[in-house]
Amino acid sequence: MTHFSWPIDGSIVGVYLLATMVVGIMVRRYVGKVEHFLVAGREMNVYLGVASLAATEFGIVTCMYTAQNGYKYGFAGAIPGLTNVLAMFLIGYTGFGVKPLRDAGVMTIPELFEQRYGRFVRWLSGVVIVLGGLLNMGVFLRMGGQFLVVCCGLDLRYLEVTMTALLIAVAVYTVLGGMLSVLVTDFLQFVVMSAGLIAVTILVLLKVGWGNILAAVDRNYGAAGFNPFLHPDLGWQFALSNTLTSLAAVLTWQPVIARVLAARDSRTGRRIYTRTSFFFIARWMLPGLWAMGALAAAAVTPEKLAEIAQRLGEKDGTLFAMPYFLGLALPSGLMGILVAAMLAADMSTDSSYMLTWGSVIYNDILGPLRRRRPLSERAGLLWNRFIVAAIGLFLLFWGLWYRLEGDLWAYLQLTGTIYLAAMSVLLVACAYWRGANNWGAIAAIVVGAALPVIGLALDKLIQVPVRDAAGQIIMVGDVPKTIGWKSLYIGDHWLNIGTYAATAAAMIIGSWLKNMLVRPVDSDRGATREVRS
Amino acid sequence: MILADVHPVARWFWGLLLASCLIWYGTVTVYVAIRGLLDIRTMLRRLEEVRRQGPA
Repeated sequence: MTHFSWPIDGSIVGVYLLATMVVGIMVRRYVGKVEHFLVAGREMNVYLGVASLAATEFGIVTCMYTAQNGYKYGFAGAIPGLTNVLAMFLIGYTGFGVKPLRDAGVMTIPELFEQRYGRFVRWLSGVVIVLGGLLNMGVFLRMGGQFLVVCCGLDLRYLEVTMTALLIAVAVYTVLGGMLSVLVTDFLQFVVMSAGLIAVTILVLLKVGWGNILAAVDRNYGAAGFNPFLHPDLGWQFALSNTLTSLAAVLTWQPVIARVLAARDSRTGRRIYTRTSFFFIARWMLPGLWAMGALAAAAVTPEKLAEIAQRLGEKDGTLFAMPYFLGLALPSGLMGILVAAMLAADMSTDSSYMLTWGSVIYNDILGPLRRRRPLSERAGLLWNRFIVAAIGLFLLFWGLWYRLEGDLWAYLQLTGTIYLAAMSVLLVACAYWRGANNWGAIAAIVVGAALPVIGLALDKLIQVPVRDAAGQIIMVGDVPKTIGWKSLYIGDHWLNIGTYAATAAAMIIGSWLKNMLVRPVDSDRGATREVRS
Repeated sequence: MILADVHPVARWFWGLLLASCLIWYGTVTVYVAIRGLLDIRTMLRRLEEVRRQGPA
């Protein structure tokens, strides 16, 4: 039984939702051009950028996967947070990759690639960015709905209704106000979300106790709960895989890069990075701690979590340890603050992601069509609004249909890699390697997208029975417990590392081949302009 | 309490990291809440000026 009270907590949530919608819709009058819609007229300053970046990169889905890592691996599961901090601080401090990107004055990463690799690479980059981005974002809505159902004790029948209502609320202000609405609502959402995160963490610490949390992690995982290198499922490949993902995401993850591109100049963009960097460990540590609180709670049992997972149609109950625990532990009032904070987090993430994937569709995938028949600013705005609404519809249907195979974080990392591996290699080569060309770029994009997609397909198409230590098939009721082929025989970390290595190799080999086989005078028409900082 | 079994260095590392997160996050939230509002005001004022000047 959760402590969510509709009169008290429902009112807190209602007031917050109303305020967000009003603010988000109010700023639509400042949107007169496509540039305002996509990058807020490039008028964003440092502190608004910090609030927006932090709010965007923390959604309910973030809370769920960081908490799942905390529950399954203890403190060792927070290692991706440390790699995030280091990557964001180093890249912000040095300007590596992001300075030439912002100085080029582009609205999306593929736009920069056209200057170096040609139009086809821009279009192809747009396609893989949208493919990876939408597959990645596809589970956000479902996770948001599941969190609310488990935490607030809502009837399961309302899962779809909850998801749809969340999406419509976000879509309304994003469609109307674009990046301007996203920035202003992000600010409000950052304040509400941060207050909620801090308040809930303090309450968990007071209620469970730091000593009991340490003891629970020690009891369940021993030293491996504190040191990822000792954990059989993590190890150095987990740290390396996350370091690569962190570096690539900071360099090229479009919702993150959108803040650099919307900044007034590259210096402002870099300051946003350095000043937000520490948030990236907080977003792993705090929900992770809540989940470790669940480890210490007697009421949160594996049987109960398995029952919740079965009810929600998911395979892994560990995903629901944190929301179930919070539903039991938080008093009325604080539940309202938590739900408002989580809705704030989710809305800011959904709106930013819808806008940024939409910007790539409009700017880079539909770009060739617009060259033949240029659009007026009014028509461009209308197209952008239509695309954002279409993405919303996709999310709704994908979220209803897709079921996770393993860890949520592993899924997000792998779908992100579909484009992160290739885009980060292309960006670094574009800015710092004279020998890079369109053959290398195309090879890198194809390899970088193909390996994760094949991995996901192998998981979905080939299911293998799970065996215990004695080699016996584990049964769930009358049905054998199964796992995807890729998850069992390759593992997500190795697939991720392999994809980055193969993508970099494809870039080098493809570029060398062209440099050797094609005379410079014939090479890449209009695609040889250097882009250097 | 089983605390003696937990590696002391790991306990201190994660404890300090958590404390840093809470202190840093609490401070930054208040600071960004104030400065961010000023940023929004400036941004909207500039965009209003652009809007008044009409299409370039």
